[in-house]
Amino acid sequence: MTTFRSMVSAAALALAVIGPALAVAPTSAFAQGVLKLAQTQDLVSLDPIATSDNPSIHAQLLIYDTLLRPSTDATKLEPGLAESWTVSEDGLTYTFKLRQAKFSDGAPVTAADVAFSLKRAGSDASNWKRFFAGIDAIETPDERTVVLKLKSVFTPLLNNLALFSSAILPQKAFEAAPDKFFEKPVGSGPFTVAAWNKGQGLSLKKNAHYWQAGKPSLDGAEILVLPEGNSRVLKLQAGEIDAALEIPLNQMQSLARSGAIKTEVANVLRTDFVLLNTKKKPFDDVRVRQALNYAIDKDGLVKALLYGAGKVANSPMPLMAYADPELKPYGHDVAKAKALLKEAGYADGFKTSLLVHSGRPLHRQLGQALQSALAQIGVTAEIRLVEGGTHWSTTKAGDYEMAVSYASSDTIDPDQMAGFLIVNPERANAYHTEWKSERVNELYAKERATRDGPERGAMFKEMIKLAHEGAPSIFLFYPGTSYAHRSNVSGFEVLPTGNFRLEDVKLK
Amino acid sequence: MLTYILKRFVQLVPVLFGITLACFFLLRALPGDPATLLLGARGGPEEIAAMKQRLGLDLPLWRQYLLFLGDILSGSLGRSVVYGQSVTKLVLERLPATLWLVAYSTVIAVVLTIPLALWSAVKRDRAPDLLIKLVFTVLLAIPSFWLGLVLVVVLAIWVPLFPTSGYGNGFVERLHHLTLPAFVIALATASLTIRSLRSGILNVLGSDYVTTARAKGNATARTMHVHVLPNALISSISVLGAHTSWVIGGTVVIETVFALPGLGSLFVESIFARDYPMIQGLTVVFAVLVVLINLATDIAYALADPRIRLD
Repeated sequence: MTTFRSMVSAAALALAVIGPALAVAPTSAFAQGVLKLAQTQDLVSLDPIATSDNPSIHAQLLIYDTLLRPSTDATKLEPGLAESWTVSEDGLTYTFKLRQAKFSDGAPVTAADVAFSLKRAGSDASNWKRFFAGIDAIETPDERTVVLKLKSVFTPLLNNLALFSSAILPQKAFEAAPDKFFEKPVGSGPFTVAAWNKGQGLSLKKNAHYWQAGKPSLDGAEILVLPEGNSRVLKLQAGEIDAALEIPLNQMQSLARSGAIKTEVANVLRTDFVLLNTKKKPFDDVRVRQALNYAIDKDGLVKALLYGAGKVANSPMPLMAYADPELKPYGHDVAKAKALLKEAGYADGFKTSLLVHSGRPLHRQLGQALQSALAQIGVTAEIRLVEGGTHWSTTKAGDYEMAVSYASSDTIDPDQMAGFLIVNPERANAYHTEWKSERVNELYAKERATRDGPERGAMFKEMIKLAHEGAPSIFLFYPGTSYAHRSNVSGFEVLPTGNFRLEDVKLK
Repeated sequence: MLTYILKRFVQLVPVLFGITLACFFLLRALPGDPATLLLGARGGPEEIAAMKQRLGLDLPLWRQYLLFLGDILSGSLGRSVVYGQSVTKLVLERLPATLWLVAYSTVIAVVLTIPLALWSAVKRDRAPDLLIKLVFTVLLAIPSFWLGLVLVVVLAIWVPLFPTSGYGNGFVERLHHLTLPAFVIALATASLTIRSLRSGILNVLGSDYVTTARAKGNATARTMHVHVLPNALISSISVLGAHTSWVIGGTVVIETVFALPGLGSLFVESIFARDYPMIQGLTVVFAVLVVLINLATDIAYALADPRIRLD
């Protein structure tokens, strides 16, 4: 028997030795001045006309420039590669003056590169062709001037030129190897790709030719993929990373308590709501839709589910340019909700279903909360928990009654969101609620042909008010996005558009 | 042996054919398609139609299936819809992490199983046996993501022996990074193999030839090595083989907690995105790997028990 005991203890000893012995191996050493940032997903592609996921878009905005870009507070457009631009009186000719800038391979950025990139973005190969449909011709009178000619006035164009899909690529380098280009792309942005280890992260290094003097201050950045919220928090606490996106909201307070870590909430351009299929009874009745809006304690949801990191929504449109702060959200008023239901002929309530995306923890919680709130006015909602792809195609096919959903904006101009959320017919028919207001449609067409200013702003305000009254969805809240960084990081900020400008970040 | 292995590979052909057929048509039965999902909120009907045409999704199903088979026969698995790159390339990038996890966790599981099962069997119904049973039953019941996080807190934060997550570069660093995740998987495997090996040993211990061996005056250790263990191992090898096959595609949770670039998470992401070529390609790769593991299991039988012949 003694032999067995020695066998067992030898094995145990071996195990005890393996751990510490391996621990001697050095953890990977990073150079000074490299920011380590964790996000939830890996990017998909660095081709700006082929992607729609946030990690890809955010990385592209660090590698490429656009002619214009949104200011950090998302209120106006500021110069990017174009140092100035003019729009002709008739609104049909846009002239851009390019600044002296170079791509990361040292080649100068020319008007030909801009023409090439915008043509590519508007071509059949592009997923975002529609954003460039207004451009009739692109002219390049000299190396640093680009002229866009339009057939009819299309005001959102400037904003679309500030989108990721309008990134300016070097024509020569691209055409030399179109199939390989996006594996290690060349751009004129503050950073360039050092390596992309799929599933692990993207290593960026400083673009030595970047046009903004003295920027970036960092030597580089490691954008790491850490899908699990707790893992991101643990790594931040252990000091293995400098910053992390999407901190689980219930851990924000305890994380900030240590002092070594700063937690922040960014006001991103996003609204969460419950889509109501107005093609189906009883949601065809505006009184029912308003009753549902009154039945929900939205303040309570912001406090309980978002831990206060958000605001109650007054319409489906995100809180962005031309939003109306005076427009009051539907209050929590169960008596009024019941009265409206009675008026509509549903005094005893009704039975319905609520579609919920199983991959979104916030929406799963919302589903439960909404179900019990609706029960108070006699509405029995059966929760249909489905995976993302099914959620999307079910909503798209109009095969639902109520669906928890959200929308977020890529641009700071409300045109794109309005077209998506409240215009019908348009590409999503008022985000598949099939809600229709002729006046909204009319204003949408007019807004696109009106030069930007207070007059156009008033049109958006009216559209938003109409959507508020028509209640195509239960407007819930504008949720913030949480993030955190260690106190040695300065200048790290998640912008309202969801991206971050790492060229402004410094490490102490 | 060589003929046997060759024969197994020939048998793989109809298996693969069946798998491609089932996978292809089951996928198409799911609601949603890659073009609609990839374009998401920004896609209107024209964009979706244009993309479907670019991806060849507007062709009749039977033609799409033949094209897919043609791709496989020409040694290619097609192009991922989401990544826009060759499926083979993407799989090869992710394969090492999965193979590492499979190999490392299997080694740890074996190292844990043999001594603990022996000890448990020898001390049957006494304190060590009961303790091992208790500990491993509890471990089997604990969700692996929780166990993973606890191990990270204890062994990476409180006592910083291991990194909290990640993959590392080079052999030693990788071994270091993968110890915790491999350990979590190995504990789940070991809780099954320890039980099966323990009962295997107890069965064999009761048989006549062991009594004979003991009566001949063989030392206990020798009896165990030569007579008991090889005979008791068979059932545990099949448990180990089955569990290892599961590890190939079933480590999504571990990959997520430890941020590892393995095939499991790629598979799940691809299903969510309905990335047809990627899912089809991965299914073929999984099938081949599982067949290889089964083959290795059979060879291990033959090595453990000379009465089993492979032909």
